[in-house]
Amino acid sequence: MITLKINNKEVRVEEGTSVMKAAQQVGIEVPNLCWHDELEHFTSCMLCLVKDTRNGKLFPSCSIQAAEHMDVVTDDDEVVEARKTALELLLSEHVGDCEAPCHIACPAHMNIPLMNRLIAAGKFDDALEVVKRDIALPAVLGRICPAPCEGACHRKTVDEAVSICLLKRYVGDEGMEPKIIPAPKTDWKVAVIGAGPAGLSAAYYLQLRGIQVTLFDKAEKAGGQIRTEISEEKLPREVLDKEIETILKTGVDFHGGKTINTEMFRIMQNEFDAFVIATGSVSENAEVFGLNTTPKGIEADRNTYQTSAENVFAIGNALRTSRLAVRSVGQGKEVAFSVWQYLNNQPVKGEPRIFNSRFGKLVNEEFSEYLKESVERKRVFPENMGTDGFSREEAIAEAQRCLHCDCRAIDDCKLRIYSDRYQVDQRRFKTSERRKITKLNTHTSLIYEPQKCIKCGICVRLTEKYGERFGFTYIGRGFDVEIGVPFNEELKQALTETALKVAKGCPTGAIELKQK
Amino acid sequence: MTNHFQNIDQIIRENGSQKKNLIPILQAIQKEYNYLPQEALKYLAEKTSITPSEIVGVASFYKQFRMQPAGEHLVKICVGTACHVKGAGLVHDAFRRHFDLPKGTDTDKSGKYTLEKVSCLGCCTLAPVVQVDDITYGHVAPDQVDKVIEDFESRHGEKGTPKVRKADGSAIKGEIRIGLGSCCVASGSGEIEKEVESVVNNSGLRVKLKHVGCVGMCHQVPLVEIVPNEGEPTLYAKVKPEDVKNIIETHFDPPNILSRIKNKLFHFAEEIQTDRNWDGVERYEISMREKPVASFLGNQVPIATEYRGIINPLDIDEYQRRGGFSALKKMFESLSPEAVIEEVKNSGIRGRGGAGFPTGIKWELVRKEKSETKYLICNGDEGDPGAFMDRMLLESYPYRVIEGMIIAAYATGIHQGYFYIRAEYPLAVKRIRKALEICRENNFLGKNIMGTGFDLDLIIYEGAGAFVCGEETALISSIEGSRGFPRIRPPFPAQKGLWGNPTLVNNTETMAQISYILREGFEKFKGIGTDGNYGTKVFALAGKVARGGLIEVPMGVSIRQVVEEIGGGIANGRKFKAVQIGGPSGGCIPAEHADTPINYESLSEMGAMMGSGGLVVLDDTDCMVDMARFFLSFTQDESCGKCTFCRVGTKRMLDILENITSGKGKPGDIEELEKLAEWTKKGSLCGLGKTAPNPVISTLMYFRDEYEAHINGVCPTGKCTELITYSVNDNCIGCTLCAQKCPVEAIPFTPHEKHSIDTEQCIKCDSCRAVCPEDAIDVK
Repeated sequence: MITLKINNKEVRVEEGTSVMKAAQQVGIEVPNLCWHDELEHFTSCMLCLVKDTRNGKLFPSCSIQAAEHMDVVTDDDEVVEARKTALELLLSEHVGDCEAPCHIACPAHMNIPLMNRLIAAGKFDDALEVVKRDIALPAVLGRICPAPCEGACHRKTVDEAVSICLLKRYVGDEGMEPKIIPAPKTDWKVAVIGAGPAGLSAAYYLQLRGIQVTLFDKAEKAGGQIRTEISEEKLPREVLDKEIETILKTGVDFHGGKTINTEMFRIMQNEFDAFVIATGSVSENAEVFGLNTTPKGIEADRNTYQTSAENVFAIGNALRTSRLAVRSVGQGKEVAFSVWQYLNNQPVKGEPRIFNSRFGKLVNEEFSEYLKESVERKRVFPENMGTDGFSREEAIAEAQRCLHCDCRAIDDCKLRIYSDRYQVDQRRFKTSERRKITKLNTHTSLIYEPQKCIKCGICVRLTEKYGERFGFTYIGRGFDVEIGVPFNEELKQALTETALKVAKGCPTGAIELKQK
Repeated sequence: MTNHFQNIDQIIRENGSQKKNLIPILQAIQKEYNYLPQEALKYLAEKTSITPSEIVGVASFYKQFRMQPAGEHLVKICVGTACHVKGAGLVHDAFRRHFDLPKGTDTDKSGKYTLEKVSCLGCCTLAPVVQVDDITYGHVAPDQVDKVIEDFESRHGEKGTPKVRKADGSAIKGEIRIGLGSCCVASGSGEIEKEVESVVNNSGLRVKLKHVGCVGMCHQVPLVEIVPNEGEPTLYAKVKPEDVKNIIETHFDPPNILSRIKNKLFHFAEEIQTDRNWDGVERYEISMREKPVASFLGNQVPIATEYRGIINPLDIDEYQRRGGFSALKKMFESLSPEAVIEEVKNSGIRGRGGAGFPTGIKWELVRKEKSETKYLICNGDEGDPGAFMDRMLLESYPYRVIEGMIIAAYATGIHQGYFYIRAEYPLAVKRIRKALEICRENNFLGKNIMGTGFDLDLIIYEGAGAFVCGEETALISSIEGSRGFPRIRPPFPAQKGLWGNPTLVNNTETMAQISYILREGFEKFKGIGTDGNYGTKVFALAGKVARGGLIEVPMGVSIRQVVEEIGGGIANGRKFKAVQIGGPSGGCIPAEHADTPINYESLSEMGAMMGSGGLVVLDDTDCMVDMARFFLSFTQDESCGKCTFCRVGTKRMLDILENITSGKGKPGDIEELEKLAEWTKKGSLCGLGKTAPNPVISTLMYFRDEYEAHINGVCPTGKCTELITYSVNDNCIGCTLCAQKCPVEAIPFTPHEKHSIDTEQCIKCDSCRAVCPEDAIDVK
């Protein structure tokens, strides 16, 4: 047995144990990308660098055995900077989007590509379930949203953007309302003041968290400006009523025709644990419930919407006048999370936005690569433009035009997780032109996107270990090294028995199962 | 393709069919087909246990291997350090224009010529150097490209007729020594040799024709030395075939045409560096007593290069007459392995490969390992683009290196060893192969060496073109038949090396110094040099120095002594700016620190490194940012790609440097470059990555103002083409030479009028400035 010190903790390990494993043994996680439990150490990614305090030098902990009297630090500033730099270097050659550009562009941060795929597969109910994770009023927004998502759509560079907004409208209209599995009921009570898109959305997502919402509005009927400002032709009232109904049905205690003034607000402090102000535009320099304001509206934290009073949150036009209902809807969802954190006595940080790798604009040479995952078809327009939505067939046909820009490894990509943890800047080493994206999708179950590869060699070593006839190999060397199949054989020749293992082993999204 | 497979079967039979045989097999296939046809590789995978993944991985790793057929003739343009500072980039561009090569293509339309950049042809003193097949052209200027090809076409196909020596029974009158080091051969000593043979045969003279290795005075090649039985020897420099007859007759026949040569009596050509000497007709007779020669040789201490210019590389009897193998005899007679190690430890010798690890301690570590099987490797994978001392040692003193290896093997208990030699050094491979053969015949190798019961077999392993393989763990991977990926140390090769066995890896130069230590005793070796740095170091002195060549100097000698006394100062009256020591791993030391002694520690302190021993002298026309970019582009190209910091870090550093040198630099770039240099140094896996930032760090340390100037859009020395413009000043006499030379017609043909340059058309090839007799071309 060997005794060493890691972060000042004494650790006893078997001889031959790597420093990384020794650290794990005492619950200290050391990040790594090229390490694989079935393989020998390879010393490629250099993420596992730790410091030997005896000489101040950094060394890769996956490849060095623990030795007697070693004294190692795994997380000081220098080590952190080393990892951050390594990640930034890797990201500078990692050409790929984590979340699709439309997803990021959507003010409500809706998972659009997933919705599209479900629509393309005819699974409209599932699609609605996905939409309603982020958007409480899909049928409404499907009619009035200016669709910033479509502006960011990669397909726009190829021909025309996918008709995302109408697709959302279609599932909003036709999808079956997802069964709400009620969260365990809490004792918390929250007042939401204002039943426009922001307030409705906040009420909905608070209810889903088991929080009892009382919703006030000065008008008799909920809906706010979308009820008063938008024409019947554009937004039939029954569509609006139906969606509001769905929200209220979650158990919201709605009080229409009730204006809350400062005095009432003060009294209500005893009754409610928290407040969400969604009253719409605040006139300049108006005093609102004793909260700090700016010339534009109520002052609140950008991420958490918490105001100068810690139990009061503000969203929507109350912060700043905007014509973008989808932003208000998104904020409604986000504030529910902040309120939840507040009520649970957690640090109020708001909905986490995890790191996203982005490569920018699609270029000409890449169109054909992206179209491999899509169809060559012009954008579909509903028969009667302006009022009608898609038919079932049209919706499916249009959804198929989606390019699947989001990464399949979005939830378990180690590169993304560490990039998030170390707060890296992908653009730091944007010193020369990026590589052109290619996609190899001839394999029945896998897709390989070489430009996402970080050259950790796990796939090469796994195919070698398991005796694949062709397997993967390194081609070339240095910065231009690529992982490929020898003799330009097809991917399906390279990965037979090992396909699943290799896809699972890939620490990023370079090799992934087509269906996850 | 079917008919070819027989050849492949044959190749497999000859080389073996295991992974460890892969590189030799691929070399044989390429020799057969001039590239690696995919069908041949597939067949190889079918017929052997070597997997497709291994074959493709290895074939695509090493530079030597081509996946596409090459043209009939190979034009190799040396872009090593010395050639770079003398304008090899412009020469390369000129060749591309000559063959009209579009971007991404290296073979001309007719398929006759393939252009290839090579890191170092080892003829630094002839820079810039171009090799067309086996004919080498030195001092090539961009406007001479047409002539080079013309000359090649006229000579190519000539075959010398075998000559029979006439024997007339008279007494031998003396010796004619011809240098056959690579520089000499490159400069045409082979033809000189033929000519000498022919003259001697036709005249019936009885003289001994002797091949000697590298003389070190590479700035004067080809060299012929006449050593009459009586009287003083005479050394002739830069001899041309047509001079041979005169030279020989001067010494061995009644004097007749003597006067013609004597008129040109030796005056050491300081201007040699700009001479186009393959074109011109310069020839000098050198007297060894003349001051410059005495100065060049006087400060040197030959240990590894003992008897240089005298000894015939392959004459084993001569080697023994001159004290060769006496260390071996002494060792076998009187020294135990432990005593040998003690002797080596006491001598204080440190590894000459660059890092300077004490050799004796390394040997002791290997000795201690209990393993039955241990290996010895002589590291001759010299990859520094400005150094060629290992090549010279292997070519000129093969027995000395072998003797060192036998001693090392005996001391450490090893019975099998390798010579790992760069594939780019065919002559070294040939010489060592022959020397090994002769040693076996003479029982210096093989079983029961010299009747002592000690066995040792040495074989050659030819590298395939990868700088990283100079790193010992990468070298080992390469011998194992893999990509040259380095491995983390520990375990060190001394514990776990080749195929997991304890392995002793020593640099060629280290091996070449061992026999001296044993023969002369450690005290004598230790008497040379300074504290902690004993013995001598061989350097390849090149660049802007007046007299370049291979030099062996005592440790601790100052940079100034090397540049000024041995090298004769800066050529062409320019100003000494800096020396680049240690190649891609080293750094630039500015002239104001020229009194720095050359030893491991002081060089490191100055931000340079002993490295491989390249010593390139720079003058005030050299751009230091461009130097940093040059070395980074080399290391970036040679990075194996295994670890993040080296693979991506060197690339991003190079990006930033390229931006800076092309006028796209922006504030903050220097700081980011500095940060990245620091991290690449700290975070890389092996020596290549850890030292790759040194050229950047050292130039940032001493020449930061030049970086800042570039960021502001100015290259102070006018080297960075994208930051400069060419214009004509009032000195112009309207001679039209520039207009005639301009390859892109950017200068209108206006006789007797002041010329002008169309900056839109101008490709900044520097031809006009080089040809202008009036210094009327401004570069700003």
